[in-house]
Amino acid sequence: MTEDSTKRITFKVQRYDPERGSAPYFQEFIVPASRGMTVLDGLLYIKENLDSSLAFRTSCRMAICGSCGMLINGYPHLACHTQIEELHAATLSIKPLPNLAIIKDLIADLTPLFNNHKSIKPYIIRHDTEELLNPTAEFVQMPQELETFQQFTYCVKCGICVSACPTSASDKLFLSPLTLAQCYRYCADSRDEGEQERLPLVDIDHGVWHCHLAGACSEACPKGLDPALAIQLLKRRLVSRALGLGKKKRPSSVVSPPTETKPKVPFPEFTVKGS
Amino acid sequence: MRNTYLRLLQLVTGALIAVLLGIHIVIMHVDAILGFFGVDAAKPTSWGAMIERASQGIWAGLYIALLVFVLYHAFNGLRNIILELTPSVKTGRIVTWVIIAFGIIAFIGGTYVPVALLVS
Repeated sequence: MTEDSTKRITFKVQRYDPERGSAPYFQEFIVPASRGMTVLDGLLYIKENLDSSLAFRTSCRMAICGSCGMLINGYPHLACHTQIEELHAATLSIKPLPNLAIIKDLIADLTPLFNNHKSIKPYIIRHDTEELLNPTAEFVQMPQELETFQQFTYCVKCGICVSACPTSASDKLFLSPLTLAQCYRYCADSRDEGEQERLPLVDIDHGVWHCHLAGACSEACPKGLDPALAIQLLKRRLVSRALGLGKKKRPSSVVSPPTETKPKVPFPEFTVKGS
Repeated sequence: MRNTYLRLLQLVTGALIAVLLGIHIVIMHVDAILGFFGVDAAKPTSWGAMIERASQGIWAGLYIALLVFVLYHAFNGLRNIILELTPSVKTGRIVTWVIIAFGIIAFIGGTYVPVALLVS
C-alpha cells in the first residue's frame, strides 16, 4: 500500500449498546482506504486498530454467507461485496439493516426472518417418505425444470431484500420477500410434493398478496436474484389453484444412478518428449 | 385460498365497475354528446328522470349491482391498507368486522330508494 494510492475515508458508524440503554448514535473513524478495499475491510481495520468494541457480523468475506448485510450510504449492501472506491464518497454512513431490530451496533436481529423462513417448510416434501429419508436412488430433474427455480437457490438469506422492502417497513407481520421467494423455489421444484401444504401458509392476511411489487428487493439483492418475480409467480400459482387451472404435474420419479461409467478419455501423449 | 379469492374478487369488481360506471357516466353526464348523435337523453340528471329510472327493474338492478361492486372494491382495498398498518392479528380481525359493518350500512342506505320504489 503506497501513500499515493491510499485515501483517508471517514466511516460514520452507528453505535448502539442495549446494555448501556442509550439511543443509537454515530461515531466517526478515519480509515486509510486503498484500491480494491471493501467496506468490510474498513470495518475490520477499525476493529483491529481503532475500536475493538465495534460489533458487526462477518464470516466468508466473499458474498456467500450473507452475514455482513448493512445499510451503507443509505442503501442495503453486503459489506464484503461493496468496494469503498465504487461508492465515490469521502464519508461512508454505515448503519444496521433497517426493518429489523438491532442487537448491537451493526448487528440486526435476523431471528424473525429465519422463523418466517422456517414456517414455509423450506425443504423438499414428498409422500414417499421412506425414499426421502433412506434414498436408494436419485430424483430425476430435467435442466428445463431446474431453470424454473434455479436462481432462487442462490439466496444467501442475508436479509437485504427485507431491509429494502417498503411493505416490510410498514407491515411488521409481512412474511418478507425472502420467505415468499423461497416458498416459490420449493413449490416450483419438480421433485417436491409440498405445494398443498405451503400455499395456505402464504395465502394469509400478511402474506403474498400484501406485496406491492415495488421491486426494491430485486434491485437490492446482492446475489442478483429477482424475489419480486418469484412472488408474482407464486401469486400465479395461487390463482391457478383457486380457479382449478393448470396441469397437475407428477413429482419426479426415482432412477438409479448409472452403475457403469464410460471409460475415461486416454491422456494424450506429449508431442515433445524429453531426451 | 381465502385471500386469493378476495384478491380475485377485487380484480373482477374493478373490471365490472369500469363497465357499469361507464354506462352510468354516458347516461348521466354525456347527454350533450348523445344529443349530437341524435339520442334524446331528456335531462337525465333531473329528479324526475332519476326516480323514473330507479323504479324500473333493469336500472335498479344495474345501480344496486354497481353499488355492491363499488362497496366491495373500496372497502376491501381500505381493509388491505389498514391491515398493512395493523400490528396484530387480533386488531386486524376487529378492522375486518368494522369494515363489514360499514359496508352493510352503506349498502342498506344506498339501496333503500330503488327498493322502496320497486316495492311501492
